[in-house]
Amino acid sequence: METTDINLFVRTSEETISDWNRGKIVEALLKETLIDESTADEISREVETIIKKSGIKFITAPLIREIVNAKLIEKGLETARKMHTRLGMPIYDVGNLILHPNKENANVPHGPEATNLTLAERIKKEYALLAVFSQEVSDAHMNGDIHIHDLGFIDRPYCSGQSVEYIKKFGLNFPHTLSMAKPAKHPEVLLAHLIKFSAALQSNFAGAIGWDAVNIFFAPYIVGMSDKEVKQLAQMLVFEFSQQAVARGGQAIFSDINLYWEVPKHFEHTPAIGPGGEYTGKTYGEYEKEAQRFAWMLFEVYKEGDGAGRPFFFPKPIVHITEKFFKTEGHLDFLYHICDVASDKGNTYFVFDRGDTAKISECCRLSFKLEERDLEDAKKPWRMRYCALQNVSINLPRIAYLAKGDDAKLFNLLTERFILAVKAHKEKRNFLEKLLSLGEDGPLALLTMKKDGLPYLRFNIASHLIGMVGLNEMVQVHLGEELHESKRALKFGLKVIAHMKLLAEKMSKQEGMRILLEQTPAESTSYRFARLDLRDFSPFSGRIVKGNIADGKVYYTNSTHLNVSIRLNPIERVTSEGIFHPLIEAGSISHVWLGESHPSKEAIADFVVKTFRYTTNDQIAFSPEFTTCNTCLKTSRGLKTRCEYCGSEDVDGITRITGYFTKISSWNKGKLGELADRFRNENFFSYSKEVANS
Amino acid sequence: MGKVKIFFKSDCPLCGSAIKLKDSLAKEKVQVEFYNIETAEGLAEATFYRVLSVPTVIVEDKMENEIIDWRGKVPSVSEVLNAVKSL
Ligand SMILES: [Zn+2]
Repeated sequence: METTDINLFVRTSEETISDWNRGKIVEALLKETLIDESTADEISREVETIIKKSGIKFITAPLIREIVNAKLIEKGLETARKMHTRLGMPIYDVGNLILHPNKENANVPHGPEATNLTLAERIKKEYALLAVFSQEVSDAHMNGDIHIHDLGFIDRPYCSGQSVEYIKKFGLNFPHTLSMAKPAKHPEVLLAHLIKFSAALQSNFAGAIGWDAVNIFFAPYIVGMSDKEVKQLAQMLVFEFSQQAVARGGQAIFSDINLYWEVPKHFEHTPAIGPGGEYTGKTYGEYEKEAQRFAWMLFEVYKEGDGAGRPFFFPKPIVHITEKFFKTEGHLDFLYHICDVASDKGNTYFVFDRGDTAKISECCRLSFKLEERDLEDAKKPWRMRYCALQNVSINLPRIAYLAKGDDAKLFNLLTERFILAVKAHKEKRNFLEKLLSLGEDGPLALLTMKKDGLPYLRFNIASHLIGMVGLNEMVQVHLGEELHESKRALKFGLKVIAHMKLLAEKMSKQEGMRILLEQTPAESTSYRFARLDLRDFSPFSGRIVKGNIADGKVYYTNSTHLNVSIRLNPIERVTSEGIFHPLIEAGSISHVWLGESHPSKEAIADFVVKTFRYTTNDQIAFSPEFTTCNTCLKTSRGLKTRCEYCGSEDVDGITRITGYFTKISSWNKGKLGELADRFRNENFFSYSKEVANS
Repeated sequence: MGKVKIFFKSDCPLCGSAIKLKDSLAKEKVQVEFYNIETAEGLAEATFYRVLSVPTVIVEDKMENEIIDWRGKVPSVSEVLNAVKSL
C-alpha cells in the first residue's frame, strides 16, 4: 500500500486515531463487495480528492464510508452500495433514546439496560431488512402491507413452550456455562432451576416463554409438604418470575404458566419424575392432590397481589378448562377461587379445551393443539418443546381500500399478501437454520444442545405464524358495515379468515412447513398500520381508523375482534368473537373489560361455564383497572387522576394492554386511543349478581 | 317452506349420498344451498353454523333460524321433506 502526503487523521471504529490511508478504502471494498480492484482503486482516489479539497483535519471512518457509498451510487453500483452500507443511528436519535422511554413494547422499562436493548434492536432490525429479507419482503414491511414482528430479534426464534420435565430430568447444564447443576432434589432448587432456565431462554427467544402443566410437574416434589410450605413455594415462584426485571434490557420475562385442576388425560398415565431426576414409580395421575394444592396456593398468591396490592404482571396463569375439569372433585371450589382472582386482580386466563383437544398456550396467546405425535411425546414430556419461528401480520383494511369494493380483487390481494408473508417466513427460517447449523459454537448454542438426542429447539416441528390486523375495519371499508352490525358483515369476515385458513393449509403442504393463523397481539402494529393508512388512503381512511385522529391516538381493531367501543353485552361479544376461533389454530382470546366493577366470583364462574358450554370461544380474560399511588403505595379500583386514599396526583393507571398487565403511562398512542374507547361492562355483572341474589 | 343447507367435502366417504340428497330435494323444488368446506365460502358458512364434521344437513326457517340438523350423517329425503314442509 502506498502512503499519501495528505495530513489527515481518521477516527476509526476501534477507538484509535490513525493516519489517512487510502488503501483502507480499497481493502474494505474488495472484502465486502464484489467490485473489481481497479474500480475500487478509482473510487478511493476520487474520495481522497474530495477530502483533500475540504481541508478537514479530522474525519471519522463512518463519514469516509458514506462518501464511498455516494461514489458507488454515482457509478450505478447499487448492489455494491448495499453490501458496503453502514448500519447505525443519528446522534439525535441516540440522545433521545437514552433520555426518553421506548413505547413500542410496554414491557420494557426505561433505563440503561433498556437503552442497550433498543439500540441493538435498531441495528438488528436494519440488518434484517437489508440482509435477511428480500427487497420485496422488506419493502412490504416498510410500507405497511405486512408487519414482520420482532425484527430487532432477527437472530432468535419468536416464542416457545417448554416442559419442566426437561430440567427435572437433565438438571441445568448449558453449553459454555461455568457450572452445571444436577437434577434438583428439593422443590426450592427446582424452582431456582426453572427461573434460571427461563432467563436463559429469554435471551434465546424474542417473545414469550411458556411452561406447560407447571403444577402437575411440581407435584412429586410437593409430597409431604405442609400447606404453609406449599404457599411459600407458590410465593417464591410468582415473585421470582415477576421480579426478573433485571434480565434482558430490564424486561421482565414474558412468561406463562399453564395450570390444571385435573391431571390432563394425556399425562394421567405418564411415569412421574421426582427428586434427583428419578422416576418415582407412580404416574402423574396419582399426584392429583399435590398438583391441586400447588395450583390453589398459586392463586392465593395472585389474589394477594404484590406488596402494594397490585396484580402481578408476570407470570400469567393460564387455567385449562376441559371436560375432565368438570368431573374432577373440588372443581367448583377451585373455579370460584380462580374467578375471585379474575374479578379482583384480573390475572386468570381461562383456556377452553373442548372435546378431546389438548392445548398448550405459550406465547402472548399462542396455543397448540396437540397432535398424534405430541400425544406420543406426552409419555416423555421433556420432549414437549414447541416454538414458533416468526410472526407476520397482514394489514387487512389496506387490502379493502385497494379493492374498492371488488370481491375478487380483495381475495386476490389477500392471497398475494399471504404468499408474501410465507416468503418472509422462509427467509427467516433459512437465516435461523444457518445460525443453528453452527451448533455449540454458534449464537444459539443453547437451542442446539442434545440432552435427549433431539436438538433442544425442535426445528422440524416449528410453526410459522400469520396474523391479521383490522378485520373489522376491512369489512367496514368493503361492505359499509362493521362486524357487529349485520350477519352479512360477520359472515363476510368469516369468509376472509376462512380464505386465510385454507391458504395456510395449502401452503403448509406445498412448502413443507407448519403455517398457522394466530390472532396477533399487535400491541404497536395496529397503531402503525392505522397511521400509515391515514397517510396513504386519506380522506377515506380518516373515517375508518378508530380512536382520535386529532391527537394521533389512532388504531385498527385487533385481529378478528369486534369494535371495542360498542355497548355489547359480554356474552354476545364472547359468542360472536368466538365464532372465528376454530379457524385460528395458534390461539385466540376475547377480552371482557371490567373497568371499575368488581363482579362476584359466582357471576364470573357462571360466565366462564356458559362460555365453555355454549360458545366456540377459545380463551377469555377479565380485565379490571387499577390506580396505584406512588406516594402512599396504595392501590384502588378504576383509572383515577388522583389517589383515593391520600389525594396525591402522582399515580399510575394499570390495566391489561393486550396480553398482559402493565402501567398505562408506558402505552403507545394507539393503545391509549383504544383504552379510551373500550366499553367497560360495568353494569352487566352487577345486574347478573342481583338476578342471582333475587 | 324452509331452506336446506348441506355441507360436504370432495373426499369424504358419506358425501356421495349428500349429493344424491341434494338432487332429490331439488326435484321436490326445495331450496337447497350446497357448501364445499374446502372453499372459503363453504368453510365460512360451516364455521358460522359450528359444523365440525361432514356431511352435515341443516334445515332453517325463513329467518335463518336453525330448525333441525343432522351432523356427520345424511338423513333420508322424507325426513328432510317433513322438516321443510312443517315450516
Ligand atoms: Zn396515595
